Amino acid sequence: MEQAWLLPGLTFGAFTVLSLASLTGLARRIPGGGAWLSIAAALVSFVLFWPVAADEQARGTHSFAIPWVQVAGLELTAGMAIDPLTVLMLGLITFVALCVQVYSTGYMRGESRYSWYFAALSLFVTAMLGLVLADNYLLLYIMWELVGFCSYLLIGFYYDRKAAAEAAKKAFVTTRLGDVGLLIGILLLFRATGTFQMSGVFHAVETGAIEPATLSLAALLLFLGAMGKSAQFPFHVWLPDAMEGPTPVSALIHAATMVAAGVYLVARSYPLFSAVPGMLMFMTLVGLITTIMAAGIALVVTDIKKVIAYSTVSKLGFMVAVLGAGGAGFTAAIFYLVTHGFFKALLFLGAGSVIHATHRQDLQELGGLGRKMPLTASVLLIATLALAGLPPLSGFWSKDEALVALSQRGPLVYGLAILSVFLSAIYGARLWFRLFTGPAPTADHESGPVAEDESEPGTHALATHDAPVAMALPMLALAAMSVVGGVVALPAVGALVGMPQGIGSYLFFHEPEPFYFDAGVAVTSTTAALLGLFVASGLYWWRIWSPAALQARFSRAHALLERKFLVDEVYQWAIDHIVLASGRLVALFDRAVLNDAGVNGPGVVTVALSALLKYTQTGRLANYALIMVIGLLVLFAAAFGFAM
Amino acid sequence: MIPIQQVLTISAGLFCLGLYVVLARRNAVLVLMGLELMLNGVALNFITFAVYRDPERFLGQIFALFVIVVAAAEVGLALAIILRLYRLRRTANVDEANTMRW
Amino acid sequence: MIPPEWLFRGIATLGLLGGLGLALTRNVVHGALFLVLALLAVAGLYLALAADFVALVQVLLYGGAVSILILFAMMLTQVREEPETTDNGQQPVALLVSLAAFAALAAAINTTEWPGTTARSLAHIDFDTISAALFTTWAIPFEIVSLVLLAALIGAIVVARQEPQE
Repeated sequence: MEQAWLLPGLTFGAFTVLSLASLTGLARRIPGGGAWLSIAAALVSFVLFWPVAADEQARGTHSFAIPWVQVAGLELTAGMAIDPLTVLMLGLITFVALCVQVYSTGYMRGESRYSWYFAALSLFVTAMLGLVLADNYLLLYIMWELVGFCSYLLIGFYYDRKAAAEAAKKAFVTTRLGDVGLLIGILLLFRATGTFQMSGVFHAVETGAIEPATLSLAALLLFLGAMGKSAQFPFHVWLPDAMEGPTPVSALIHAATMVAAGVYLVARSYPLFSAVPGMLMFMTLVGLITTIMAAGIALVVTDIKKVIAYSTVSKLGFMVAVLGAGGAGFTAAIFYLVTHGFFKALLFLGAGSVIHATHRQDLQELGGLGRKMPLTASVLLIATLALAGLPPLSGFWSKDEALVALSQRGPLVYGLAILSVFLSAIYGARLWFRLFTGPAPTADHESGPVAEDESEPGTHALATHDAPVAMALPMLALAAMSVVGGVVALPAVGALVGMPQGIGSYLFFHEPEPFYFDAGVAVTSTTAALLGLFVASGLYWWRIWSPAALQARFSRAHALLERKFLVDEVYQWAIDHIVLASGRLVALFDRAVLNDAGVNGPGVVTVALSALLKYTQTGRLANYALIMVIGLLVLFAAAFGFAM
Repeated sequence: MIPIQQVLTISAGLFCLGLYVVLARRNAVLVLMGLELMLNGVALNFITFAVYRDPERFLGQIFALFVIVVAAAEVGLALAIILRLYRLRRTANVDEANTMRW
Repeated sequence: MIPPEWLFRGIATLGLLGGLGLALTRNVVHGALFLVLALLAVAGLYLALAADFVALVQVLLYGGAVSILILFAMMLTQVREEPETTDNGQQPVALLVSLAAFAALAAAINTTEWPGTTARSLAHIDFDTISAALFTTWAIPFEIVSLVLLAALIGAIVVARQEPQE
């Protein structure tokens, strides 16, 4: 549908109005800080998503473009391509964005820069929609950078807090490493094929018009970009730190959409990646390292948001690993991406609800909230179970398809994937149990924050409360999707929404993947998840085992996990000893060669020469006249000799 | 009729004699006189070319007229400057006017 | 009417002698007289070349006005006649340079071909013709040069004026 540009267009309009309003200070005059404008844009986008999707089903994949740049020998178009992958992403983005924005009106109430917050969210949604709609790599890259920039803005929303400013910087710089790879990869492809158009590039790949070496390098570089954005090892370090941003931002950007952009990029460029031998295996490898490592860390961190953040890293790794499993993996990974977007956003929103109520986000200071926050507890339970992948929740169906795809990659890969399922059940349940069961941990939990609250009267309720309506509704909507979002995999249900043989017949690479239910895989994974839940219950609910004892028993492993596999330390070392050292070298070069010799040098020489040459300025008229005539004679002689 | 080369050589001679005076003397009035001699050499050159090469338009004659008129103006101004210098420095020595140097 | 060559050469010799005298003398009054001789000789050359009008202007302006002005300058500045007051110490170089300049000019004059300059007679241009040219074809340059003259006049007055506090 040609009007698909309205989706990003509307949100961009909201951004323009709101950013201008907040810059000029007019925002305070707009009722509700203008949040309704942003929400309305998101709502209309979400409504428009349905005709776009229906149109896609009726017409199939289609694209349209307008001329963009026309210079000699180079014609670029800016256009949109709409295919099942795009449609799924559009639905996810608009839905989660709508939920998060409504939620934000409750969560961010009373913040200064309230309007600016919504402006930035709108810009982000614009860029994200543009990213998935783009039909050429150049446009995609622009949007890619734009979402990164919005992420920077929103992580650093509380830029007066040092940690937030640092985290924003870290996220920006770390993803930049990958982005450079992406840009070079795109330019390589452009040089090889002469087009930024994705269809053109894929066509060239299929006809073998690109040299294998170039193709491999380009694919690797593109994947580097995806690794940065999707927080794959070793670029995952920015995502946990990004939790310094407001929690709804974490839900939208750092769980459901932007971090999935890397996965989206790989899926979008799947013809490219699948044409490079070994590339898919490499992706599986990176994904598995990431998923296991992050799941391990998620077991021990105590900050609620960081638990979920590491869970996100782990699940992104899982998606990347699944993408590496070939055609079936392609469908499964995107399916997983969508359902993950629902329940991970829900996890964040639930966590935000807890933080909003208690002003605490460390597990050691929280507990026993089950009775005080029944709604939050129940939606978080749904999200946790979906994360663990218990039937019939959405996580089960998508995870199962993924595991079926991975099981074809050999027992080791399959085993590690099952391990990650087991681990995610543990850390998910650990989070839930520690938040909502057991005793309210300490006395100072009750007195401390309340005392603080009293110092800023009127902004927060004194007692811990459950989520207000504005926050509850989005959570309920996401919970509903977390429950039912997966059943489209079933042919019977899929047929209702135009996917007669399950999602695999709608979104596929090369050939449709009809629904396939492997009882063995389902039982194994469910058993692993239940086992994880059981272990977590034993540790944190029934308390038949002591986590402290376990910690002491495996103190070294625990320390390794607590220090996050020392990745940050390695980076710090590399920055101190390699980046700064070479920086000092460059600085020396700059000072000695460029500044002293290159810039000051001519100055010094000029001054010295002038000191000598000034004596030629005698001030005597006759001398000047004489020199003038001599000069004239020399010129004359030269011209005369030349003429001869 | 006398060849053009000879007339031109005469004008070149006048010009160079004037040039020597300008370069070798420091007295302002002498320098000024040298300058006039140089201008005369130039004017003679113009007249020569007008007569030998351009009798229809006699452009050189017009030019020579202008040279003479401008020379008169220049002498007037130069005299004023010399007087000024003399009043300031009690000398007509152009080398004394050397404050514009290092 | 073509003047005989001996007459032309004679007048030229007079002019060059005047110039030489000016170059050699250190006496400013002698210098001025030599200059007048040279200027009048040049006027004679103009006559010999049938440029009557220019010759007339030369005599009037140079022989009359300019000479008088220079005499005024001498009078007002009281120049002494020792070499140290008239010479600036670069005569050898000046001589060399002047000779070189003459050599260069002479070389240029004598190596150049002058085709079409073998006119046997001189076209005499009468006052009417030259006046008509000055006031029609060259009217604008004429006006401009009048302005220059006026500006020089005013400038000379401003520069030479004795200011009250001096």
